[in-house]
Amino acid sequence: MDTIACTAGSELPGTPIDPAEYGPRTVATGPYYRRDWFEWEVEAIFRREWLQVAHVSEVQNPGDFVVREVDCCKVSALIVKGKDGVIRAFHNVCTHRGTLLVSDRPAGNAPVFTCRYHGWSFERDGSLRAAPDFDTFGLAKADCALKPIALDVCGGLIYINLDPQPRQSLAEFLGPAWDLLPYHAAATATGFSEYVYEIEGNWKLVYDNFQETYHLRFIHPRSIGTSTSPAGNFFGYADTFATFGPHRTMLLPVNPEFEPAPTAARGFGKVIQSAMERGTELGPWNRYYFCMFPDNYLLLSQANPFVHSIMPISETRTRGTVRLYWNGEDASASERFAREFAMAATRDIHSEDVSVIEACQKGILSRAIDRVHFQQHELFCHYLYDQARLRVQDWLSQQGMADAADAALEFGR
Amino acid sequence: MSAVSASDSALPRDFASLEPWVAAGWAGQTAHDRSLLRVDRSPEEVAAFHAAVAPLLDPALAYLDLFPVDRLPPAEERLMRLMLTFAHVALAVEMQGPDEVLQRVATRHMRITRAVADRPPA
Repeated sequence: MDTIACTAGSELPGTPIDPAEYGPRTVATGPYYRRDWFEWEVEAIFRREWLQVAHVSEVQNPGDFVVREVDCCKVSALIVKGKDGVIRAFHNVCTHRGTLLVSDRPAGNAPVFTCRYHGWSFERDGSLRAAPDFDTFGLAKADCALKPIALDVCGGLIYINLDPQPRQSLAEFLGPAWDLLPYHAAATATGFSEYVYEIEGNWKLVYDNFQETYHLRFIHPRSIGTSTSPAGNFFGYADTFATFGPHRTMLLPVNPEFEPAPTAARGFGKVIQSAMERGTELGPWNRYYFCMFPDNYLLLSQANPFVHSIMPISETRTRGTVRLYWNGEDASASERFAREFAMAATRDIHSEDVSVIEACQKGILSRAIDRVHFQQHELFCHYLYDQARLRVQDWLSQQGMADAADAALEFGR
Repeated sequence: MSAVSASDSALPRDFASLEPWVAAGWAGQTAHDRSLLRVDRSPEEVAAFHAAVAPLLDPALAYLDLFPVDRLPPAEERLMRLMLTFAHVALAVEMQGPDEVLQRVATRHMRITRAVADRPPA
């Protein structure tokens, strides 16, 4: 793989954006803390868009399953590989009286799923296998299968969509990223490292932190504050910005003068060398950072190829899950060391952001200010704000409440 | 739990000087355990661990590379985990330096739930 068909005349997926032209923006704070707005976002976005929730390596064999909670929708999803090799998702809910079907473990392997309440059992393809004294219900088994959830896979990443009839296929939703995700290490990974955090912050406020570089010098002075800012670009602004549909991408700069600490040089050097030896060829996509709507980021990098997922819990609480995907098992002690280091170093950078995000949420909750300002290089923040706003307004219109959003979007409220 | 016996902290001969660190609990079992050593132990102890292990990192990994990584004998497996702890400690000492006082709080927010090094051999 050396080239990918892409937008004509450009290496970028999507449409390049000139930050100066897109401009600075000031927006109302309501969508960052209001409960009514959050509940509309859940309906308009998280119950309707494709969400990245799992990886194919978690369900390798028939009967392998994972349970994934979509907290804001109060949905428990059971993702399972059938004996036909097909990965499917279902609501993790017994069709008898609604009991959670798998509640004792988040993952495992099962030949059949049996409800502990009255013993209804379901095949790995979701069909009802048997129910005690079933004749007394006067029902047909075929009408009692687990409720399916739309599922599709791109580049090894498993997505679900809670809309019973998704408006778009995953390929339509991802657009040009459908062809680029197979370049991420997740596409060929046999395993991953993972760390998880929960944070007092609205999901967009959390998301925004990780889609602008303006803060790097201040919050990451020793980790990436200088390694990503070459001479003449003090704030490490991206060289290129582009959007496609609701998604964004930027080309992260590097500082060629930066000298990593000894163990960093060894650790990152080894993972990059291993990736190259294993044929993980990123070509022009190395250092592309994808900010995917609504819930994740992907870094196409040989050093720390991560997928960072953001899942709202409430209007002011969010869970983040970061996974670094590895192509092939650890081949040697040196590679094992390098992967542990790459994971720990990436975690160090992400953890530096937690307290400042929570401080930002507290300040907004105080209602001392009714608006926030984005400079031109923070353009992805107001792009996300707009993508969420458009979906909420569209959904409210469909519900006959077109004006309901106004209060949250106006200054002085 | 009984006290740690000498054989529980034995390392391959060339790395025997690091055995006191194993006895003191620095060969963390999981990546999460290893990440906590960096923030739970005193800054002086973290610095001393770094100073003791840093000169032996390259020789230790070169030695361990002679073995199949998923079937390390017990002493080699201990040495591997000690080096993996060093990956976390190196960030504290070599990168964060004076700012590690902030990271001692911040990294606790991010729980390592899975690491390739912690997977049971296939």
